[in-house]
Amino acid sequence: MANLRAILTALPLVLLAVPLARAQDAVAASAAPQAKPPSDDGLQRVQVADPYVEIRTGPGRGFPITNVAKKTEWLVIEIRHTDWFKVRTEAGKEGWVDRVQMENTLTEAGAKTSFRDVLVDDYLRRRVEFGGAWGHFSSDPVLKLWTSYNVTEIFAIEGAVGQVQGSYSGTNFWQIDLLAQPWADKRLEPFFGIGVGRIQNVPNASLVSAVTTNSNMANAMIGLRYHLGERFIARVDWTEYTSLVSANRTDQYHAVTAGLSFFF
Amino acid sequence: MRSLPFASALFVPALAGMFFVGAVRADDTQVIEPEVARRDVQVTHIPSNDVEMGLFTGTYDTQNFGTNLVGGLRLGYHITEDVFAEAVYGQTKVSDQDFRLILPGGIFPQPHETLRYYDVSAGYNVLPGEVFIGRTHAKVSAVYLIGGVGITKFDGANHETVNVGTGMRVFLADWVSLQVDARDHFLSLNLLGQRQETQNLELTAGVTFFF
Repeated sequence: MANLRAILTALPLVLLAVPLARAQDAVAASAAPQAKPPSDDGLQRVQVADPYVEIRTGPGRGFPITNVAKKTEWLVIEIRHTDWFKVRTEAGKEGWVDRVQMENTLTEAGAKTSFRDVLVDDYLRRRVEFGGAWGHFSSDPVLKLWTSYNVTEIFAIEGAVGQVQGSYSGTNFWQIDLLAQPWADKRLEPFFGIGVGRIQNVPNASLVSAVTTNSNMANAMIGLRYHLGERFIARVDWTEYTSLVSANRTDQYHAVTAGLSFFF
Repeated sequence: MRSLPFASALFVPALAGMFFVGAVRADDTQVIEPEVARRDVQVTHIPSNDVEMGLFTGTYDTQNFGTNLVGGLRLGYHITEDVFAEAVYGQTKVSDQDFRLILPGGIFPQPHETLRYYDVSAGYNVLPGEVFIGRTHAKVSAVYLIGGVGITKFDGANHETVNVGTGMRVFLADWVSLQVDARDHFLSLNLLGQRQETQNLELTAGVTFFF
């Protein structure tokens, strides 16, 4: 009798405990990551989520496809060259996969990786820009190259060198400007800059008793930028240069240039 | 002893209640708190080799003056699989020996002048592909067209130069390539009082490293 009572009291307890335990097990099982081979030498490993990805022999769209990696297969990413990723399959085969196909693969955490894609986001977050422009500097052709670094979204520092090919002399200059781009998130945006630099005027060797002048210079610039797409920006700018030749003489030059730059 | 069944009857719900008491929150929205182990996700940096740096040497023909050895450095960035940008610095010697035979004093202050050029060019891989060496080796290659602008420092003055060229690059491995380049530099010189458009042809071969 006492045994029966003991069993009767214990039974509901057991019946209650079992579903609770099973619930905890189920939660633990869903949290555990699915089995994967151990990762090697710090290279990123992704899993194919599409039915298959195509593996080519070289980093270009014309190279032949010699291999495919099927769904749930793991790929190790070795290196990236422009938009192509060199991967190694589990079987040890190496080849190149393009970025569009890589974007649909999953990382070890089970999430899609965002591979570097030149979208508007990249344009908005651009830091370094290299560019060149051609134009007119006081009616002579000028060639200008610049590098700019976006310190914040609105302010940038730009260094430029320029070369003017005149009929009787050549002028070369360098400048460092502070640029303000208040509408940096627009595709077509104006920008303003002020800066200082040095300007050097070298007359042609064939001229007699011509003097080379080397002086400090200040400049003010206003320009327009247009994001062409991918990594390229077109630019037009107007600059006023004031060359401080001597204590009581300043020369003014006006330059208009149009050019192209790329950012990364 | 009669109280025992009653106590045991209460014992079971009480014990069951203890299982739940830790799980029920004040607002009673969640019955069970899941125990999920937090995973550390480390996003690995994928190495890239879009930047190239190289050396080259070859011949540079200065119009009217003769051909001489040229050497230089190359720095470039591959933007897409088709387009790349390249900055080049090269140096060569120009001699006016031929003129000194006819014109006493020559044209330059010294018999040999150094010519230096810098240029920035944009290149386009028109024919990417593979080249085959023997039976078992295939190397990635690209024939490209390149054009750009720059400066030629010569005879004490800077001359604006436009360069147009073509070349071929063969990748020995992912990180190194051999490059053969033919360029034509267009510039205008004013050495003897008359402005003249000159073309300087350059043919070089070099090694380029990608990192």
